Amino acid sequence: MKQKLIIGLSLISLLIVIVFMAKDFFRGSNRSQTNPYEYKLDNLKHIDPELITYSEINQIKPGIINPIAIAIDGKDQIYVSGENKVVKYNSEGNQILTFDIDSSSYCINVNSSEEIYISMLDHIEVRNPDGTVKAVWEVINERAVITSIATTDEFVFAADAGNKIVYQYDLKGQIIKEIGKKDTLTGAPGFIIPSPYFDLLIGTQGKLWLVNPGRHAFENYDFNGNLISSWNRTSMLLEGFSGCCNPSHIALLSDGSYVTSEKGLERVKIHSPNGDFKTVVASPDSFEEGTSGLDLAVDSKDRIYVLDPVKKLIRIFEKK
Amino acid sequence: MAKKEKKKKLNRRDFIDRGFRFSIGAGLVGLSGLLAKKSFSNEYVWQLDPEKCIQCGRCATECVMTLSAVKCFHVYDMCGYCDLCGGYLRPGVKKLTTAAENQLCPTSAIERKFIEEPFFEYHIIEELCIGCGKCVKGCNAFGNGSLQLQVNHRLCDDCNECAIARVCPADAFERVPADNPYKFSGNSKDETKKS
Repeated sequence: MKQKLIIGLSLISLLIVIVFMAKDFFRGSNRSQTNPYEYKLDNLKHIDPELITYSEINQIKPGIINPIAIAIDGKDQIYVSGENKVVKYNSEGNQILTFDIDSSSYCINVNSSEEIYISMLDHIEVRNPDGTVKAVWEVINERAVITSIATTDEFVFAADAGNKIVYQYDLKGQIIKEIGKKDTLTGAPGFIIPSPYFDLLIGTQGKLWLVNPGRHAFENYDFNGNLISSWNRTSMLLEGFSGCCNPSHIALLSDGSYVTSEKGLERVKIHSPNGDFKTVVASPDSFEEGTSGLDLAVDSKDRIYVLDPVKKLIRIFEKK
Repeated sequence: MAKKEKKKKLNRRDFIDRGFRFSIGAGLVGLSGLLAKKSFSNEYVWQLDPEKCIQCGRCATECVMTLSAVKCFHVYDMCGYCDLCGGYLRPGVKKLTTAAENQLCPTSAIERKFIEEPFFEYHIIEELCIGCGKCVKGCNAFGNGSLQLQVNHRLCDDCNECAIARVCPADAFERVPADNPYKFSGNSKDETKKS
């Protein structure tokens, strides 16, 4: 009798041990536990809905594996470039042209003659309106990372994040000036470009405006390379820009205001010409967390086109 | 008999000559062996792939070592040396100062040093770093990812049953050759390609 009791108790003990082992084996790694060291941006990501004065009215899905850059010409035709391809849409969003390129394009711009300027990282390709190659402008150097191009009737400006400089080209592709170079003799501080976000555009008064992202600054240069004016706003709040590389992209509205996009806090905002915050176009909850490289373009009706590289969409925003 | 005598008695010159040859031979054999061992080494250790890491905090809480052998490393080549550093300052700070309430790191394991306007250099104090990855997340979000978590093999027990690897939700831990045990990610051109 005593022996049976001992065997019974042993079996029960063994069973308990097996149950615990099975629990450890199958549920041992609790992979969904909360993170006590969570990096929280919730307060900054929440934006008062009253401040968001734009709404998304349409989306276009470009047939490009990794869309990177967007531009709009004078006829509101949309150009999107990315991995090995450029696609052109008419103002209604219907695809009217597509052509292949040799590698990824990092930015795109169109001049008044509808000639397309495409950055291929370290050199620029000029394409005719039908997509055929017009010219290939030579490799600048192996450090070059061309992240933005702006055109006038006389010049082409290219922002080189790798060399932290802006090149002024003539229309034949000859570099005639370097703008913004650090110079200890003249005290020129140079650009602070920690990562490949360095955007520029031609402003409403025909002057060159560019982002100095390390200083969260907008700088205005004449075509002789002289700094005319600048403003900067450093803040994680809506009034400014934060991190090392913001704003990552800019575009211009017809009243001279600047549309800006940021990484870190994925948001699209509008700042007045003097730098003051005006309104929000798209809040961080409009984008996947970690989205960076939201390229921007504006059409003749001041609709804002945001190229979302994560959702792989052209997203069109209009004032409410 | 005379020959045997001759063999037995080495003069000093021969002795030095033979000793020298023997040393060179032994050195060569040793070097070849070392190189062969390195080439065909089967020794592997655990390392964290920064490209896969999601900074979940498990490296701080699950490592069998106290403190965790996972530490933040700073890839200086990639750093922007920013004043408003997303890895150093807490989100939403009003002043960009070193005051404790402005710092993101829960143990103040990052110190910064003014270089020249507007650049600051950031340095990880290894003894204070707990490997939580909070700074790495901030740097990835607002900077260019120069702060990266890695298993510090000077501190790691190399028990080969890595407790963090078992629970890593991103499966970011992998076996790497022991003679090349670190796995940093990115440089400026790679960053361009990623973005």
